[in-house]
Formats: sequence, C-alpha cells, structure tokens
Amino acid sequence: MNKDATLDAKGQMCPMPIVMLAKKAKEMKTGQVLELLADDIGAKEDVPAWCSRTGNKLVGIEQDGSVFKFYIMMK
Amino acid sequence: MAEKMCVVVSEGSFDKAMMPLILGTTAASMGMEVHVFYTFFGLKLLKQGNKPKLPGMMRLFTGMIRKKMAKNKIPLPEEMMKTALDLGVNFYACSTSMTIMGITEADLVKGVKVLGASAFLNLAADAKVNLFIG
Repeated sequence: MNKDATLDAKGQMCPMPIVMLAKKAKEMKTGQVLELLADDIGAKEDVPAWCSRTGNKLVGIEQDGSVFKFYIMMK
Repeated sequence: MAEKMCVVVSEGSFDKAMMPLILGTTAASMGMEVHVFYTFFGLKLLKQGNKPKLPGMMRLFTGMIRKKMAKNKIPLPEEMMKTALDLGVNFYACSTSMTIMGITEADLVKGVKVLGASAFLNLAADAKVNLFIG
C-alpha cells in the first residue's frame, strides 16, 4: 500500500502506540498516508477506535505474523 | 469543543497510579480534554519524587513488577506522568485532602493545580466520560 511515512511501534504496549500515533499525526499533512506497525494485541481494536474518534481514515489493515500494519489517511 | 473526560482517583497505590495515566494519555491522544482529580490517599501520587507501591502485602513485589514493565517497554508511572503533562492532561489536587494528608502546594509535581469539589464538579458536569478509580 502507498504510504508517506512509517511509524514503528513494535514492542510498545498500550497506551504507547496510540500516544506515538497521535504525536506523529500532528506532523503529517491532510491526505498523507501513515503506516503504523504495532504488535500489541490490543492495537487491533485500539487503532480503529482512535481513527473513528479523531476523524482520520483507516484505509487498510494487514497482518504479518504478529505485526499489524495499519494504513491511516490523515484528515 | 473537545469532548471531556474526568477521573477521580482516591487511592495512592501503584496500580491506581497507572490506571488514570494510561486512560489519560490515551484520551488526550484521541483529542479529548482530560481532567484528573486526586483526593484522599490518591493525593500521594501527585507528590514530587513519590514512588507508589502495590497495595498491602503486595508492596513487596513492587520492584518485581517495575522490572517486568521496563522489560516489556511499559512506561513506569513517573514517565507516564511526564508524558501526560506534555499531552496537556490536567491534574488536580483536592484542597481539603491536602490539609488532611499534610501536603502543601510546594510538595506537588510541577503543573498540578489545586481545586475544590465545586470546581471539579463544574468540569465533570460537562464531561462525557466520568470515572472513579479507588
């Protein structure tokens, strides 16, 4: 999937992937796609929840072993 | 206007330290305005240099849990507090509890504000999420 940046939150537990994601989102521009890598099992539900709350669009989820790859289009 | 979350914390143990910090940093990261009010034994968590312990006899295992958290990259309460303040989470000390617990403004972590019940309820009345941790 096309991406403008990658944020590696592997090895980080809740709440850090979301805290890191919110910080990174502030640096990005509207329409850019961020790839977020996370292996916290909770991220599978947490990242979609963050997207729906904040109005950023989750455009894809992939799984590579224990690593989730989230693709988020910035609002 | 941003949605609000208000939390009351009434106990000062390690676990009660972590819960509002995890929820507070997450809510702030989700764009929410966060207010955490510490009362009674919870107030100890706002003291500078305070290192909370697990409750009761479990306190003996505090070091063990801290090591396990560090190993798993889970931030410790003192680090989480810093992150929360950076994210704009508001921390409040209950003024009456300060008197009961013998804690002065100078003892508090920098950035903590002092409030009474009325000021807190004024915030809580408009909050979508209100939690009590005790």
